[in-house]
Amino acid sequence: MLKIRVLKIEVNTTSGLYGTEFNFSNGLNIIRGDNSTGKSSLFQSIIYGLGFEELLGGKNEKTMQSALKDQVEFPRNTLHNITQSFVYLEIENKSKEIVTIKRSVANSIRKSQLIDVYYGAMLSDKNESLESRQMWVHDAGGASDELYGFHLFLTEFLDFNLPEVVTAKGDLHKLYLQQIAPAFIIEQKTGWSDFLATMPYFGMRNTEQRVVEFLLKLDVFENEKRKQQLNSSKQNLNSRWQNLFSKFQNLAERSGGKLVGLENNPSIINIYGGIYISLIRDNKPITLSDLNEIQKTELSALEKQQIFTVGNNIPQNEEALNKLNDRLNQVSLNFELLSSEVNFDREKLKQYEKQIVTVQDDLRKNKGALKVNKMGGELPAKTAKNICPTCEQDLKDSLLPSDIKQVPMRIEDNISYLDSQMRMIRVYIEGQQKTISEKENKLKEYQAVAFEVRKQIRDLKKELIQDERLPSVIEIEKRIDLKRRVEFFNKVLESFSPLIEDLKNLSAEYGRILNSESNLPKDFFSALDRQKLATLKNNFIQLLRVFNYQSKPFDAIRISQETYLPVAQKTDAEQFYNIKFDSSASDFIRCIWAYTTALLKTSITYDTNHPRLLVFDEPKQQDMSKDSFRSFLTELSKFTEQQVILFASFENSDNSFAEATEGLTFSINKIDKLLIRPITNEC
Amino acid sequence: MEEKDIIIKKLSFTQRPIPIPADYRPMYKIALIVLILRLCCRAETSNLLKLHLFSWALASDKNLSKLREYVISNLNSDFSVWGIEPALNRALQLAIAENICEVVSGKNYKLTEKGFKFYEMINADSELFEKEKTFLNFIGKSKITDSNINAMSNQWTINYAKN
Repeated sequence: MLKIRVLKIEVNTTSGLYGTEFNFSNGLNIIRGDNSTGKSSLFQSIIYGLGFEELLGGKNEKTMQSALKDQVEFPRNTLHNITQSFVYLEIENKSKEIVTIKRSVANSIRKSQLIDVYYGAMLSDKNESLESRQMWVHDAGGASDELYGFHLFLTEFLDFNLPEVVTAKGDLHKLYLQQIAPAFIIEQKTGWSDFLATMPYFGMRNTEQRVVEFLLKLDVFENEKRKQQLNSSKQNLNSRWQNLFSKFQNLAERSGGKLVGLENNPSIINIYGGIYISLIRDNKPITLSDLNEIQKTELSALEKQQIFTVGNNIPQNEEALNKLNDRLNQVSLNFELLSSEVNFDREKLKQYEKQIVTVQDDLRKNKGALKVNKMGGELPAKTAKNICPTCEQDLKDSLLPSDIKQVPMRIEDNISYLDSQMRMIRVYIEGQQKTISEKENKLKEYQAVAFEVRKQIRDLKKELIQDERLPSVIEIEKRIDLKRRVEFFNKVLESFSPLIEDLKNLSAEYGRILNSESNLPKDFFSALDRQKLATLKNNFIQLLRVFNYQSKPFDAIRISQETYLPVAQKTDAEQFYNIKFDSSASDFIRCIWAYTTALLKTSITYDTNHPRLLVFDEPKQQDMSKDSFRSFLTELSKFTEQQVILFASFENSDNSFAEATEGLTFSINKIDKLLIRPITNEC
Repeated sequence: MEEKDIIIKKLSFTQRPIPIPADYRPMYKIALIVLILRLCCRAETSNLLKLHLFSWALASDKNLSKLREYVISNLNSDFSVWGIEPALNRALQLAIAENICEVVSGKNYKLTEKGFKFYEMINADSELFEKEKTFLNFIGKSKITDSNINAMSNQWTINYAKN
């Protein structure tokens, strides 16, 4: 529950203190003021005090009228320049806690994002010595920073648990308080143009829907929950897939080849024959199983041959030795060339890494400086504004000597400059790491080849000095080696097929998850939700009837199950459209009256999040008939436990006022001539 | 392109704003002065050299670890010289003009009440200048005193001025 207790405006001008104070009570409060008396300033001050001025189409003091920031007019046609102005707002919540908000409009040293919250009723108790805390509104940190965010404070004060909404980028963000406000505060200029017309845009999807769900406390979030569950099982599958993938890769590495046909990320696989280990033989790629078959035939051919003696082999052996020596030389040379290259690359990588640390630190400091700059408040105010506190000249935001003619970047530009520099260095580092690991692999390969060649050379040499009558050791070893390789490859193939089985299971499971994701039902209303929506519809139609709505037959009007906004059925068609298209201008105003009122009426029947407050600025729009307006006020006056604040001019006539309100229960605040008037020092 | 094709009739240069390190941003340095005075100085008062020492240490990780080691070794390891930067002096002038700190007994800088408020603001945001706060809290008020500073700087005169 949110209740506005007192509003106070305090304006210091060059000719003394001006201001005004208003008390609000439960039930219907009518603020009556003729045109251009300052009614809108009063309305805007309430919005401004709550930090909701985005409803007025902007941020901070820009949204306020000149009577609060430039000049006060009193009496008419006499202007006084404003030196400083403050808005005070005393509010109360469900548990009867009271706080007072203080926010500046015009103030040369205090930023309008700064809000003082006093813990207690500063205005009605006239107690100035309350404990207080400074908070911020609209800054980047405003909505989430626990230390300073005024709206975070307000959310807790109102006991709101704001739901998370999917943003246009696809991640989750909590709904903003300012987005909920248009459902209970209707502003004069755009507020009457559509349902929830003044909602500020924060790049979120379906916000109107979420706001109504939140206000009526609907259970449809179940849907979101299911989605999250699916997401988590997806993540789980992802990690299992990666695990399996590394097993495959491990096997490929052990057999000296590389894995073909399998990705690191889950996918649905239809053909499993395309997944194999690829090896190199005679400079051509070959699959492991094909190579194994070739080796098997070679082995059986060898086994059939008689074993040569050493003497038989001497000429071939000598020729082979020469070839091997050449090969070894070539490989060693390659190795040396490449290893110096790698050393050079590593050195470069180190430099990049050093650079990124420096840039990161500078970025951190810059961000800190920017934050302090914004925090300036009443403290080093001039430096924060980039003005020399002694000579009032431009500081250029730097501590460089003033005779240096270079212009430094603005701190915001500097931050984005460093950001992009950091991204660039990251790209360098990644590229460099990749090159290094590729070269290192190549080096390992050279090493392995050199090792193998050396071994063969040793064996040949050994054989060349042996007794010529002995059987050739090389021949025997060749056989043993080949046999070992065939056995090893057999083993690899044996462990490969169960992995493929695992993969089949994972791929099928992945397909199932994708399926249930696309099958997520859209409708997740609970029984209570349906009841609430039915009540909303009944209240809405009943109110339309009372307000004398005539554009459409009532049985053609629904509350949409998707947007929760009123829709109407086209004549001779099945579809439902926004009720706006088929309603006359004044009937659409009746719709907004009825919808806003029905939301509150429905909310108090159930346990909901509605703040139980309605604020209307000049609801009598579009030459509305007097009777309709009177029935609207009659309906509003029935909310005795809640608070309704209504600003209206009653066509500047006492008669109209009497006609509209006669016999109703309400509190009246009349603005006589001008809102902002001199304050005499009575206390 | 052949050489004769290149005919430049006019060249113009536009001066662009240049990036500068955060150490040259007034608000960063003023915030740093406030943190040093509040966290590392008895009676929130310090001489100029001490301010320079900590400002120098926080300028880079290398300097930071050097000073940290020196403090951990109980001021016994080899630590001789630190940088003096004009930027800090300028920031001090701004801070004095803003009434964040004031000069006492002609040579020392003392945090004012406004400076205290500014510190409270910086301190309330735990993420803001976290690294600086951690280091300065580690140093604390009593590990490096004015007499330490004087002894260190006297050492300079002995070691360097002679040559």
